[in-house]
Amino acid sequence: MATIQIYHQEENRFYQVTVNLSSAVLHDTDDAVIDNYLTISTNIRKTDGTAFGTFRVTDLTDVPPGYTTASDWTELINDYTEYFITEAEMGQSSSSSSSSSSSSSWMYSSSSSSSSSSSSSSSELYSSSSSSSS
Amino acid sequence: MAITIPIYSNVNALSRSITVDFVGDILAADNKANVSSTNKTYYFKFTTGARDTDGIAFDPKLSLGLSDLALGGVKQSSSNTANAYADVSSMVIDYTYDFIYGHTANQYSSGVAEQKPMQL
Repeated sequence: MATIQIYHQEENRFYQVTVNLSSAVLHDTDDAVIDNYLTISTNIRKTDGTAFGTFRVTDLTDVPPGYTTASDWTELINDYTEYFITEAEMGQSSSSSSSSSSSSSWMYSSSSSSSSSSSSSSSELYSSSSSSSS
Repeated sequence: MAITIPIYSNVNALSRSITVDFVGDILAADNKANVSSTNKTYYFKFTTGARDTDGIAFDPKLSLGLSDLALGGVKQSSSNTANAYADVSSMVIDYTYDFIYGHTANQYSSGVAEQKPMQL
Protein backbone atom coordinates (compact mmCIF):
# COMPACT_ATOMS: atom_id res chain seq x y z
CA MET A 1 0.00 0.00 0.00
CA ALA A 2 1.23 3.49 -0.77
CA THR A 3 0.01 6.62 0.97
CA ILE A 4 0.70 10.13 -0.28
CA GLN A 5 0.53 12.82 2.38
CA ILE A 6 -0.78 16.22 1.32
CA TYR A 7 -0.46 19.15 3.68
CA HIS A 8 -3.07 21.88 3.49
CA GLN A 9 -1.58 24.93 5.07
CA GLU A 10 -4.74 26.95 5.66
CA GLU A 11 -6.40 24.12 7.54
CA ASN A 12 -3.13 22.97 9.06
CA ARG A 13 -4.01 19.38 8.38
CA PHE A 14 -2.93 16.50 6.24
CA TYR A 15 -4.98 14.73 3.64
CA GLN A 16 -4.11 11.38 2.18
CA VAL A 17 -4.24 9.71 -1.20
CA THR A 18 -4.21 5.96 -0.66
CA VAL A 19 -3.24 3.37 -3.24
CA ASN A 20 -4.07 -0.26 -2.56
CA LEU A 21 -3.35 -3.40 -4.53
CA SER A 22 -6.39 -5.65 -4.65
CA SER A 23 -7.38 -8.93 -6.17
CA ALA A 24 -10.85 -10.11 -7.14
CA VAL A 25 -12.98 -11.55 -9.89
CA LEU A 26 -14.05 -8.45 -11.78
CA HIS A 27 -15.71 -9.77 -14.89
CA ASP A 28 -18.97 -11.59 -15.23
CA THR A 29 -17.60 -14.52 -17.17
CA ASP A 30 -17.63 -18.24 -16.50
CA ASP A 31 -13.86 -18.64 -16.22
CA ALA A 32 -13.67 -16.87 -12.86
CA VAL A 33 -10.39 -15.16 -13.70
CA ILE A 34 -8.99 -13.26 -10.75
CA ASP A 35 -7.85 -9.78 -11.71
CA ASN A 36 -5.24 -7.73 -9.92
CA TYR A 37 -5.76 -3.99 -9.82
CA LEU A 38 -5.08 -0.83 -7.87
CA THR A 39 -7.66 1.20 -6.04
CA ILE A 40 -6.95 4.89 -5.55
CA SER A 41 -8.93 6.88 -3.01
CA THR A 42 -8.59 10.06 -0.99
CA ASN A 43 -10.17 11.82 1.93
CA ILE A 44 -9.89 15.14 0.06
CA ARG A 45 -13.33 16.60 -0.58
CA LYS A 46 -14.57 18.20 -3.76
CA THR A 47 -15.49 21.87 -3.72
CA ASP A 48 -19.12 20.95 -3.05
CA GLY A 49 -18.11 18.92 -0.03
CA THR A 50 -18.75 15.52 -1.54
CA ALA A 51 -16.22 12.75 -1.62
CA PHE A 52 -14.31 11.54 -4.63
CA GLY A 53 -15.12 8.05 -5.76
CA THR A 54 -12.60 5.25 -5.57
CA PHE A 55 -10.79 4.73 -8.85
CA ARG A 56 -9.91 1.28 -10.11
CA VAL A 57 -6.72 1.01 -12.15
CA THR A 58 -5.95 -2.08 -14.20
CA ASP A 59 -3.43 -0.55 -16.58
CA LEU A 60 -1.68 2.72 -17.39
CA THR A 61 -4.61 4.01 -19.46
CA ASP A 62 -6.81 4.18 -16.36
CA VAL A 63 -5.89 7.78 -15.69
CA PRO A 64 -7.87 10.58 -14.06
CA PRO A 65 -10.40 12.48 -16.20
CA GLY A 66 -8.58 14.77 -18.63
CA TYR A 67 -5.21 13.03 -18.42
CA THR A 68 -3.41 11.00 -21.06
CA THR A 69 -1.93 7.53 -20.68
CA ALA A 70 0.84 7.39 -18.09
CA SER A 71 4.27 6.03 -18.93
CA ASP A 72 4.81 4.36 -15.56
CA TRP A 73 3.25 3.95 -12.12
CA THR A 74 4.93 7.04 -10.73
CA GLU A 75 3.42 9.30 -13.38
CA LEU A 76 0.03 7.67 -12.85
CA ILE A 77 0.06 8.23 -9.09
CA ASN A 78 1.29 11.79 -9.52
CA ASP A 79 -1.51 12.42 -12.02
CA TYR A 80 -4.15 11.23 -9.56
CA THR A 81 -2.64 13.29 -6.76
CA GLU A 82 -2.61 16.37 -8.97
CA TYR A 83 -6.17 15.64 -10.09
CA PHE A 84 -7.51 15.44 -6.54
CA ILE A 85 -5.75 18.65 -5.52
CA THR A 86 -6.83 20.66 -8.53
CA GLU A 87 -10.41 19.36 -8.56
CA ALA A 88 -10.73 20.26 -4.90
CA GLU A 89 -9.17 23.65 -5.60
CA MET A 90 -6.94 23.19 -2.61
CA GLY A 91 -4.61 25.80 -3.98
CA GLN A 92 -7.32 28.47 -3.91
CA SER A 93 -7.30 30.73 -0.92
CA SER A 94 -10.47 30.39 1.12
CA SER A 95 -9.78 33.30 3.41
CA SER A 96 -11.49 36.57 2.57
CA SER A 97 -9.19 39.40 3.53
CA SER A 98 -6.05 39.07 1.54
CA SER A 99 -6.35 40.42 -1.95
CA SER A 100 -3.43 38.89 -3.70
CA SER A 101 -4.14 35.86 -5.76
CA SER A 102 -0.87 34.24 -5.29
CA SER A 103 0.38 31.31 -3.44
CA SER A 104 -1.07 27.91 -3.36
CA SER A 105 -1.29 26.59 0.13
CA TRP A 106 -0.67 22.95 -0.24
CA MET A 107 2.23 20.71 -0.81
CA TYR A 108 2.62 17.04 -1.29
CA SER A 109 5.49 14.69 -1.09
CA SER A 110 5.66 13.26 -4.53
CA SER A 111 6.78 14.94 -7.68
CA SER A 112 4.26 16.09 -10.20
CA SER A 113 4.82 15.98 -13.86
CA SER A 114 2.41 15.10 -16.51
CA SER A 115 0.13 17.03 -18.67
CA SER A 116 -3.56 17.32 -19.03
CA SER A 117 -5.53 17.06 -22.19
CA SER A 118 -8.11 15.21 -24.16
CA SER A 119 -9.57 11.85 -23.52
CA SER A 120 -9.20 9.42 -20.72
CA SER A 121 -10.77 6.32 -19.38
CA SER A 122 -10.99 6.55 -15.67
CA SER A 123 -13.02 3.87 -14.05
CA GLU A 124 -14.63 4.99 -10.88
CA LEU A 125 -15.73 2.04 -8.81
CA TYR A 126 -18.47 4.09 -7.29
CA SER A 127 -19.31 7.70 -6.88
CA SER A 128 -19.94 8.27 -3.27
CA SER A 129 -22.01 11.23 -2.29
CA SER A 130 -21.47 12.03 1.31
CA SER A 131 -21.84 15.56 2.41
CA SER A 132 -19.62 16.71 5.18
CA SER A 133 -17.35 19.59 4.55
CA SER A 134 -13.72 19.48 5.45
CA MET B 1 -2.54 -3.66 1.04
CA ALA B 2 -0.48 -6.41 -0.45
CA ILE B 3 -1.73 -9.54 -2.10
CA THR B 4 -0.29 -12.99 -1.49
CA ILE B 5 0.00 -15.55 -4.24
CA PRO B 6 -0.01 -19.09 -2.82
CA ILE B 7 2.00 -21.78 -4.57
CA TYR B 8 1.55 -25.45 -3.83
CA SER B 9 3.58 -28.41 -5.01
CA ASN B 10 1.39 -31.49 -4.94
CA VAL B 11 4.40 -33.69 -5.66
CA ASN B 12 6.21 -32.73 -2.49
CA ALA B 13 3.26 -31.31 -0.57
CA LEU B 14 5.06 -28.01 -0.11
CA SER B 15 3.55 -24.55 0.08
CA ARG B 16 5.28 -21.37 -0.94
CA SER B 17 4.05 -17.85 -1.48
CA ILE B 18 4.91 -14.65 -3.28
CA THR B 19 3.88 -11.29 -1.87
CA VAL B 20 3.06 -8.42 -4.19
CA ASP B 21 2.68 -4.89 -2.91
CA PHE B 22 2.41 -1.43 -4.42
CA VAL B 23 4.74 1.00 -2.70
CA GLY B 24 6.40 4.37 -3.03
CA ASP B 25 10.01 4.89 -2.06
CA ILE B 26 13.05 6.92 -2.92
CA LEU B 27 15.10 4.48 -4.89
CA ALA B 28 18.84 4.35 -4.47
CA ALA B 29 21.27 5.14 -7.25
CA ASP B 30 21.84 1.58 -8.33
CA ASN B 31 18.18 1.28 -9.22
CA LYS B 32 17.29 4.70 -10.46
CA ALA B 33 19.15 7.83 -11.43
CA ASN B 34 17.07 10.22 -9.35
CA VAL B 35 18.81 9.57 -6.07
CA SER B 36 19.77 13.20 -5.76
CA SER B 37 16.14 14.22 -5.54
CA THR B 38 13.61 13.34 -2.89
CA ASN B 39 11.04 12.23 -5.40
CA LYS B 40 9.27 9.03 -4.69
CA THR B 41 9.03 6.32 -7.28
CA TYR B 42 5.94 4.14 -7.22
CA TYR B 43 6.25 0.51 -8.18
CA PHE B 44 5.12 -3.04 -7.65
CA LYS B 45 7.36 -5.04 -5.36
CA PHE B 46 7.51 -8.84 -5.48
CA THR B 47 9.05 -10.70 -2.57
CA THR B 48 9.17 -14.29 -1.45
CA GLY B 49 10.66 -16.26 1.40
CA ALA B 50 11.14 -19.20 -0.92
CA ARG B 51 14.57 -20.26 -2.13
CA ASP B 52 15.83 -21.41 -5.48
CA THR B 53 16.97 -24.95 -6.23
CA ASP B 54 20.45 -24.05 -5.00
CA GLY B 55 19.04 -22.87 -1.68
CA ILE B 56 19.68 -19.20 -2.47
CA ALA B 57 17.13 -16.56 -1.44
CA PHE B 58 15.47 -14.58 -4.19
CA ASP B 59 16.07 -10.86 -4.47
CA PRO B 60 12.95 -8.71 -4.58
CA LYS B 61 11.70 -7.89 -8.07
CA LEU B 62 10.51 -4.38 -8.89
CA SER B 63 8.19 -3.34 -11.69
CA LEU B 64 8.04 0.38 -12.43
CA GLY B 65 5.58 0.22 -15.30
CA LEU B 66 3.86 -2.15 -17.69
CA SER B 67 6.83 -1.96 -20.05
CA ASP B 68 9.23 -2.94 -17.25
CA LEU B 69 9.39 -6.62 -18.14
CA ALA B 70 10.51 -9.47 -15.90
CA LEU B 71 13.73 -10.28 -17.77
CA GLY B 72 15.87 -7.23 -17.19
CA GLY B 73 13.04 -4.91 -18.16
CA VAL B 74 13.29 -5.93 -21.80
CA LYS B 75 11.62 -9.33 -22.23
CA GLN B 76 8.77 -11.20 -20.67
CA SER B 77 9.71 -14.36 -18.83
CA SER B 78 7.05 -16.77 -19.99
CA SER B 79 7.41 -16.00 -23.68
CA ASN B 80 9.91 -14.46 -26.06
CA THR B 81 8.31 -11.06 -26.42
CA ALA B 82 9.30 -7.49 -25.72
CA ASN B 83 5.71 -6.30 -25.68
CA ALA B 84 4.55 -4.40 -22.63
CA TYR B 85 2.15 -6.18 -20.33
CA ALA B 86 -1.48 -5.55 -21.15
CA ASP B 87 -2.48 -4.87 -17.55
CA VAL B 88 -1.60 -5.38 -13.91
CA SER B 89 -2.79 -8.98 -13.91
CA SER B 90 -0.60 -9.95 -16.86
CA MET B 91 2.38 -8.34 -15.19
CA VAL B 92 1.79 -10.16 -11.90
CA ILE B 93 1.40 -13.50 -13.69
CA ASP B 94 4.66 -13.12 -15.63
CA TYR B 95 6.71 -12.03 -12.62
CA THR B 96 5.26 -14.97 -10.69
CA TYR B 97 6.17 -17.29 -13.54
CA ASP B 98 9.73 -15.97 -13.40
CA PHE B 99 10.01 -16.74 -9.69
CA ILE B 100 8.72 -20.28 -10.10
CA TYR B 101 10.43 -21.37 -13.31
CA GLY B 102 13.48 -19.13 -13.29
CA HIS B 103 15.34 -18.32 -16.47
CA THR B 104 18.55 -19.15 -18.22
CA ALA B 105 21.44 -16.75 -18.67
CA ASN B 106 20.65 -14.27 -21.41
CA GLN B 107 17.25 -15.86 -21.94
CA TYR B 108 15.58 -14.53 -25.10
CA SER B 109 18.70 -12.34 -25.56
CA SER B 110 17.61 -10.22 -22.61
CA GLY B 111 21.05 -9.99 -21.06
CA VAL B 112 19.95 -11.29 -17.68
CA ALA B 113 21.94 -13.57 -15.42
CA GLU B 114 20.69 -17.06 -14.75
CA GLN B 115 18.03 -17.48 -12.10
CA LYS B 116 17.30 -20.99 -10.86
CA PRO B 117 13.70 -22.17 -10.41
CA MET B 118 11.95 -22.05 -7.09
CA GLN B 119 12.68 -24.94 -4.78
CA LEU B 120 9.45 -26.89 -4.41
